[in-house]
Amino acid sequence: MSLSPSQLTALRSLLDRIIPADDFPGALAAGTDTYVLRHLLGDGSAGAHVLLLGFSQLDAETVARHGAHQTFATLLPPQQDALLADLAAARPMTFWPPPLAAAPWFHRLVELAHEGFYADPANGGNRDAASWGMLGYAPRTTPERAAP
Amino acid sequence: MTSDHDVIIVGAGLAGGILAGVLAEGGRRVLLLDRGRSLAYSEIPGDHLRNHRLTLYGDHTTPDPAGHPRVFIDGAGVPHTVLPHDARYQLNAFTVGGGARVWGMQAWRFHPDDFRMATRYGVPDGSSLADWPIGYADLAPFYERAEHEIGVAGDHAGTTHAPRARDFPLPPVPRSPSAEWLARGADRLGWRTFTPPLAVNTRPYLGRGACIQCAQCIGFACPTDAKNGSHNTLLPRALASGRCTLVTRAHASRVLTDGSGQAIGVEYFAPTTTDSATLERRTARARTIIVSSGAIESARLLLLSASPLQPYGLGNHGDHLGRHVQGHAYPIAYGLLPPDVESSLLGPGVSVATTQFNHGNPGIIGGAMLANDFVKLPLIFWRQSLPPDTPRWGLANKRAMRDLFRRGIDVRGPVQEIPSPDSRVTLDPAVRDTFGLPVARLSGTTHPETVRTAEFMRARAEEWLRASGAERVWSWPAEKKFSAGQHQAGTCRMSADPRDGVTDPFGRVHGHDHLFVCDGSLHVTNGGFNPALTIMALAFRTAEHLLASP
Repeated sequence: MSLSPSQLTALRSLLDRIIPADDFPGALAAGTDTYVLRHLLGDGSAGAHVLLLGFSQLDAETVARHGAHQTFATLLPPQQDALLADLAAARPMTFWPPPLAAAPWFHRLVELAHEGFYADPANGGNRDAASWGMLGYAPRTTPERAAP
Repeated sequence: MTSDHDVIIVGAGLAGGILAGVLAEGGRRVLLLDRGRSLAYSEIPGDHLRNHRLTLYGDHTTPDPAGHPRVFIDGAGVPHTVLPHDARYQLNAFTVGGGARVWGMQAWRFHPDDFRMATRYGVPDGSSLADWPIGYADLAPFYERAEHEIGVAGDHAGTTHAPRARDFPLPPVPRSPSAEWLARGADRLGWRTFTPPLAVNTRPYLGRGACIQCAQCIGFACPTDAKNGSHNTLLPRALASGRCTLVTRAHASRVLTDGSGQAIGVEYFAPTTTDSATLERRTARARTIIVSSGAIESARLLLLSASPLQPYGLGNHGDHLGRHVQGHAYPIAYGLLPPDVESSLLGPGVSVATTQFNHGNPGIIGGAMLANDFVKLPLIFWRQSLPPDTPRWGLANKRAMRDLFRRGIDVRGPVQEIPSPDSRVTLDPAVRDTFGLPVARLSGTTHPETVRTAEFMRARAEEWLRASGAERVWSWPAEKKFSAGQHQAGTCRMSADPRDGVTDPFGRVHGHDHLFVCDGSLHVTNGGFNPALTIMALAFRTAEHLLASP
């Protein structure tokens, strides 16, 4: 199983809106897309393949609102945010084939993005502990003497 | 028939390790079985997605989760087959040392009135509220022993809810600025606070180092092995005695009984060689059998051990086995510190508590201890601690995380639950584990009085934050739900009269000369406190009772 190039582009644009960059790195700079992709493609967790279809649906929602010349990735950030707010509120403009549904799909991606972004760097979505640096958090578990 | 062992203990958790230590040092030959392994610190990594406070995708202490489901019956009576990382499973750590490998270390004595709830409050309709057959005075010497031999840090003068004869062996954990802020708020309300007891080395003790105040404490193993339990105290003593054999990855399937119904041994599945994936069926015999597997699995093992003489399970003559399941309802009030008070990122974090409301609340049965919380992981904060009107995504969410992570504060407490006979562990009629044995089936819900007490305590928690000067305060109403989890208790309750419970006041299964239960299962009620120190005290008491028995 893999993502098409257009699905991958939509995924990255989506993550960039869920956790945008500002004075601190956002999802893309922290490598959160790597974490989400690993989750969707790697561990075969139940429902992951259904979630993949949502990225194509994201482009379909874009076309329904802005015309066939646009994809989610080519929209301006305010347009992207407005579209996502519609999905979050369960107001899609296209048919989402069950078991896919707009609001649960978006909320799951929001969860996945934040899991990757705020978890420990070893999970792959928080490169160089970027989010922890923003928060001032560090585990500080290095002991003076190693535990057994 | 001869045997290589005098005692078989099923479960090397907090209680099992203590039993093994006292009995082996007392000259008994002990076989200690545990379904998990002895895990090195490096085998329980700092994984923020898989730990005992956030088991999103599992955890690092549960072996073979897929082969060991449970069945959870929801409020509509619908069964769900659930795996360990699902909250409905009611997981406690399946590893040598048990939950104490990764716990929050709160090491509370119960209040004297926690042992006589029915006498003090009467028995509410639909509940199975009862007094313990023992009182605080019976346990006090063993509480003291647990504090010293496991290692508890505390404030002797300030810890007044239960009489104390001897100081803690370790000085209390340091107070964070936000805990001092809470203490000042409590002063304004006229509430007395103190530094709560934690089983942590605040200085080097018993040959191990001190806590380094890391920010990854509850849910994780300790980098300096300063987090105390039986795995780093009594269990090493048991093994050093030369009289304790620990077999890991050993799954007990049955307590064996003879023609008269008396327990004579244990059947279990264990690896053919130490590292083998292949498990073989074995039996071991001993004069004394102690089941110490937690309130869910201990009850399940006694149910699985039914025989023609005891067709409903061992100790189930009075229909109490597996009933009265309790954990703790846990009301939490969240708030935001004022900008001039920063929350500390120094662990463990719990450093201010009040026992003002454990009893004596007008019109309310029991109550709870209240305390501040552990240092929070960023992801847990994102999931649970942002103000409820914060957008869940986008720049607004990110900025809220940045601005509020160091300003979040919460106060919470374990509410003494009012037991219900319908909150139960039974054997599922359909779902089987990897050995073909029926799995635990969990059903029932909270007694309404528990919800009422939880709501009363939620209001006290909010009141505390407001009086302290929190900028915002919010919380979520208590709900009825099946409650067990890491504080699981009650399924093999003690009783003086065999008709009223599963075991006698020393944990001996009624009607059995040599079969004991020793873990939270014995708790008739579960106190308004974290239950671990009571589990430990009972283990010391049962072990000494056995050594004193001919």
